[in-house]
Amino acid sequence: MTRLLVHARDFRAYRALLDLHARAGWFRLSIVAALPVAWIIVANLAPLVQMAMISLYDRYPLAPGTEPQFTLRHYTAFFGRPLYLTAFLRTFVFGTAVTALTLVVVFPIAFYISKVAAPARRTRLLLLVIAPFWVSEVIRSFAWILMLANRGAVNSFASWIGLPGTPYELLYNNVSLTIGVIYLTSLYMLLPLYAALEKIDRSVLEAASDLGAPGWRRFTRIVLPLSREGVVTGCTLVFLLTVGLFAMPQLLGGPNTTMFATTIGQVFAKAGDSWPLGSAFSLILLAAALAYVGLFMLLFQPRRRKTS
Amino acid sequence: MRYLRGFSLPAYFWLFIAYLFAPLLVMAAMGLRDSAFIAFPITKWTTHWYADMVFDREMLSALVLSARVAVLSTLIALAVGLPTALLLTRTRGVMRAILVAIVVMPAFLPVVVSSIALRMFISRLGIEPGTAAIVFGHAAGSTPFVAVMALTRLDSMGHNLADAARDLGADEVIVFVRVVLPWLAPALFGAFMFCLLLSFEDFVRSFFLGGFEPTFPVLLFAKLRFGLNPGIAAISTMVLFTTMALGLYAERFTRRRRLRRDDQ
Repeated sequence: MTRLLVHARDFRAYRALLDLHARAGWFRLSIVAALPVAWIIVANLAPLVQMAMISLYDRYPLAPGTEPQFTLRHYTAFFGRPLYLTAFLRTFVFGTAVTALTLVVVFPIAFYISKVAAPARRTRLLLLVIAPFWVSEVIRSFAWILMLANRGAVNSFASWIGLPGTPYELLYNNVSLTIGVIYLTSLYMLLPLYAALEKIDRSVLEAASDLGAPGWRRFTRIVLPLSREGVVTGCTLVFLLTVGLFAMPQLLGGPNTTMFATTIGQVFAKAGDSWPLGSAFSLILLAAALAYVGLFMLLFQPRRRKTS
Repeated sequence: MRYLRGFSLPAYFWLFIAYLFAPLLVMAAMGLRDSAFIAFPITKWTTHWYADMVFDREMLSALVLSARVAVLSTLIALAVGLPTALLLTRTRGVMRAILVAIVVMPAFLPVVVSSIALRMFISRLGIEPGTAAIVFGHAAGSTPFVAVMALTRLDSMGHNLADAARDLGADEVIVFVRVVLPWLAPALFGAFMFCLLLSFEDFVRSFFLGGFEPTFPVLLFAKLRFGLNPGIAAISTMVLFTTMALGLYAERFTRRRRLRRDDQ
């Protein structure tokens, strides 16, 4: 390979290109920049800009030969029907609750792997926890349907050990959806928490315990403050993931657990001026989620202490 | 605290592992039920669902489409993500922060939002919903991960290696092929596996950008709503073990490299 590239220098055109690369800064930059910039524009920016435009159009696609009429009516339609507003509020309440629950459920796991388990076992335990996350959201929803259905594994087990009142209605409600969603989100909480907890020096904890701090005190005064960055990152990731969920609420949730992302999908797929309406709703979700997360980070993000 | 360390925390950990794996084992067992319906308890067992599903034409063509889309979109994401990382290493300060924000944006947007935006955008470009559209959508979703993984690796490289090669008479092309690429190889392999699985698992993008041919998750989603049988559990189990094995292999590979590097 190298020999081939050395022989390539026998060609004048190749030498000229190398020469240009050595002398001209714009050439160096454009070799690296052309493809990424073009891609960023086509894949990341243009679709969103177009979406913002469409959300303001009276109707889209435009009939041939007509000029677009601008209107805000797709944004005001959001407030027009309680159906939309309830789904929207439910999504944010649900997202907040799931984020808090995930934090509580996963924190001991991250603490156990990073601080209590023997260092030699850490990688293996971590891989064990990560393994199910390589499986698709739809497959994992299906697995939980099999667990929680009326004739599913849990109910079958409950009646086998003789619990009264089986089958329990476990599926298609908030409980099943919460169980399933935490199944999806826990990894996004675990990895930032693990990274933060791993950095805490064990001797700090030992010092505190030598000085007589009880367990809960060591937790609130040392572990929690020192892992704050991981907590904030984990919560942000989990919240953004939860408010965007589309498939799982349809599979594990019931009629009373419709999430806003699902509403957007339904609005978008309908006939009529569905595209402008879907666009407006998408932007409302995006803006609200980013504002919510931004506020959260502003309040809880650890500030870098000034070094003086 | 000693009580917590000695017993409660390990017990809680293994309980959590049970929570993670029990549903998957239940699904694997359901694939063995000798009946046309899905229900517990299982009294008669059979392996014919597993055997049949390997040759089920509908499932197979969906799996093949998913695999094709995964490979194509990952290759595109690598081809775009690598130069993106190279570009990011050459920028500094505010410019870099803005560029990074734009590059990683697709990873943070709600997937429904970006899927709908792409769906409307491809119709503007004159592309019909279908395989090409899905590949484009998945590549758009994967590129941020390639760029960030390659960038992390590049940041740890330093200038010495490339400078040494140049002093020894290598031109820029040789430096790139013989020094930069080998240095990046583990990160690129990790990104390759990650994006492959990311694309293979994706439901939302394929749902909005797909045509009449469903990818595997889209087909499964439809089956879950209408037409459940133990065969669906069987095929899901087989897909599950395959993706899990691939994911573990990639994770082990990258982690082992990292550990070895730390030792040096």
